[in-house]
Amino acid sequence: MYKLVLCWRYLLTRYLALACVVSVMLGVATLIVVNAVMGGFANKLMTRIRGLQSDIIIEHRNYDGMENFARKVELVKQVLGDEVAAVSPVIETFALLRFKLQRYYDVIQRPVRVIGIDPTLKSEAGVFKSALQNPAHRDRPESVFEVSPELLRKHWQNYYNTPAPGGLAAAPMPQGMPIGVPGSSDGSAPPAPDLPPPDAPTPPPEEARVFAAVVGWGIATFRSPKAHLVDEEKDVSVLAPGDEITLMFVSSGVGSGDDYSVGVTRPMPAKFIVTDLFRCEMSEIDSNIIFIDIQDMQRLRGIPGRATSLQIRLTDGPHDTAALVERLRAHFPEGLYLVNTWMERQGMILSAIAIERAILNVLLFLIIAVAGFGILAIFSMIVIEKTRDIGILKSLGASSRGVMGIFLSYGLLLGLVGAGLGTALGVTITVYINELEWLIARTTGQEIFRRDIYYFDKIPTEIDALSIAAVNIGAVLIAVGSSVVPALRAALLQPVQALRSE
Amino acid sequence: MVAPLLAAHDLVKSYRKHRIAIPVLRGLDLTVEAGSFVAVIGASGSGKSTLLHLLGVLDRPDGGQVFLDGERIDDQPAQRRDHLRNHWFGFIFQFYHLLPELSLLHNVAMPLMIRHSLLGWVRGRRQHLRAAEALIERVGLAHRKHHRPRELSGGEMQRAAIARALVARPRILLADEPTGNLDAAAGAEVMRLLSDLNRQDGVTTIMVTHNLEIAARADRVVKMAEGRLESSPLAA
Repeated sequence: MYKLVLCWRYLLTRYLALACVVSVMLGVATLIVVNAVMGGFANKLMTRIRGLQSDIIIEHRNYDGMENFARKVELVKQVLGDEVAAVSPVIETFALLRFKLQRYYDVIQRPVRVIGIDPTLKSEAGVFKSALQNPAHRDRPESVFEVSPELLRKHWQNYYNTPAPGGLAAAPMPQGMPIGVPGSSDGSAPPAPDLPPPDAPTPPPEEARVFAAVVGWGIATFRSPKAHLVDEEKDVSVLAPGDEITLMFVSSGVGSGDDYSVGVTRPMPAKFIVTDLFRCEMSEIDSNIIFIDIQDMQRLRGIPGRATSLQIRLTDGPHDTAALVERLRAHFPEGLYLVNTWMERQGMILSAIAIERAILNVLLFLIIAVAGFGILAIFSMIVIEKTRDIGILKSLGASSRGVMGIFLSYGLLLGLVGAGLGTALGVTITVYINELEWLIARTTGQEIFRRDIYYFDKIPTEIDALSIAAVNIGAVLIAVGSSVVPALRAALLQPVQALRSE
Repeated sequence: MVAPLLAAHDLVKSYRKHRIAIPVLRGLDLTVEAGSFVAVIGASGSGKSTLLHLLGVLDRPDGGQVFLDGERIDDQPAQRRDHLRNHWFGFIFQFYHLLPELSLLHNVAMPLMIRHSLLGWVRGRRQHLRAAEALIERVGLAHRKHHRPRELSGGEMQRAAIARALVARPRILLADEPTGNLDAAAGAEVMRLLSDLNRQDGVTTIMVTHNLEIAARADRVVKMAEGRLESSPLAA
């Protein structure tokens, strides 16, 4: 009983010991905030990657893809049975993007990743339609590559200052070579921008073929670096639906038509009208990706019936994904195909996050360990200061174990109070982290959280009760552990010697 | 003849300082009858305090035995000795030795707090505090029971220490120079209290002092010199 009375009294009267409380509190708060933020990032990243990646991906090692993907899709459905929800064939390739930057009268050229998809299947097998900016496309993803008459009108108005010829209103177009392919027959590099300057409108030839493309948000906009500090529109648009882009592909090495000799690749430029923007909030994807129709892609690259990968979405509920992958691997030979789960494909980034988190936790726990050494030092001093009182207590019948108990409970109390305050502080900071970040950014003029890197509107946080509990237990254990040595010392004091100390 | 309440037989104790053993007690014999008031006098460093510590099982002798009510107590395990100190002995020190963090009431109640577990304390809390308050009243400090020791005078602190020593209803009071730090008036007050307790409550009291005048108030005075009791009891 007296132990509690005394350690409570000590807590209230020894201001030095409050330093221990503060250091434990800060350590715990830091750990909680860092864990919450890192957990939030990891989680958000995981769900996004997960959504974008499908469950299993069968990738052909050849850049030109697998032959007759329709049959492969059937095979996948056969192998996986009713566990498969959707299979989406995809052609992924690199291309050179070129577009006119209206506001600067200049042309931008840069490499991009172009993905040929079937918008309906892609939406079933992964995230696609929900990332589209036009709500009409979200409801009907199959219409995303249709150039509507008004879009076409707008396009002609903007680029050629003439109304659109009626024949172009319908899309997609059937057969025919893309126009705006200068030098495609002789293989020479395309010359300077083929887009007419706005002051000298030249209507394009009548047989112009216009393909549709969905452009990543990060390509279509740029972010003003000060956008965060001044409350104005953050993203400045450079490409909008109705604008025109040129994509230059490399044709396949597969002989697929009369014009292409076997094994020879050629640059294959084609014009596209932007029909929508794609924003999945993964800046790496949003700023590098352009979606086009898979059939357009096959035609442009000369690989009819081919796909570079099959994205497989499994039905909801638990699956033994590893076993499914093994089953698929039996049918898709390793030398030609890469069969992976999304986790394996993203293994690097996921394990990087996990390692980073583990290391940070170790480092931050060292902060609490430092607090522990503080407790050790301060407690040792208190034991010396209290030597006489220890003698008195023993003369009144207190046992050595009881005296030890005083200091252990004191350490426990400090740990509990510190951890409790730290948890309160940490959770408060976590909850208000965006407001705090804004405040700090405002006062210092330094942006802390670069929204253009992460494409998160807010700093994502995830308060995980289990990790908070672990941090608290760890902190209390460290506090009690560091008070063991001073407590032992107090317990071993001889009462007579203790009483003599004046 | 009745067995003495407390007896020491051939007590030997020495302290080590820089590897040299300094003998303090060299075969001391003492018997104390129940209800008596014994004063031990002697010069500083004659081992008076050491004797009290050995009698109250605060320390272990190098040789010899201590008997309480016929039972040998000096060689008991620590747990038993803690129990004896809590139930049988009450200590009073020259420098009062109150705990500075606690109020007077809690200081006085401390032996009861030590005796009882948290549950036992909570259960008998009112009764224990009443016992402490009664003693505080008896030593004349009822108006100061919520004060901290540092807010009290020396005499008040010593009276509080006496109340603390009595709260556990000990059979034996061990007083180490109880008036050594007090002025004449406060010392007289403390002495009056001690002899009242001895006479009215029958608390066996062993008091160590170097003040002959004070010692004269005891039933029996023994003199210590060179680690032994020098002579047969002097007349009071």
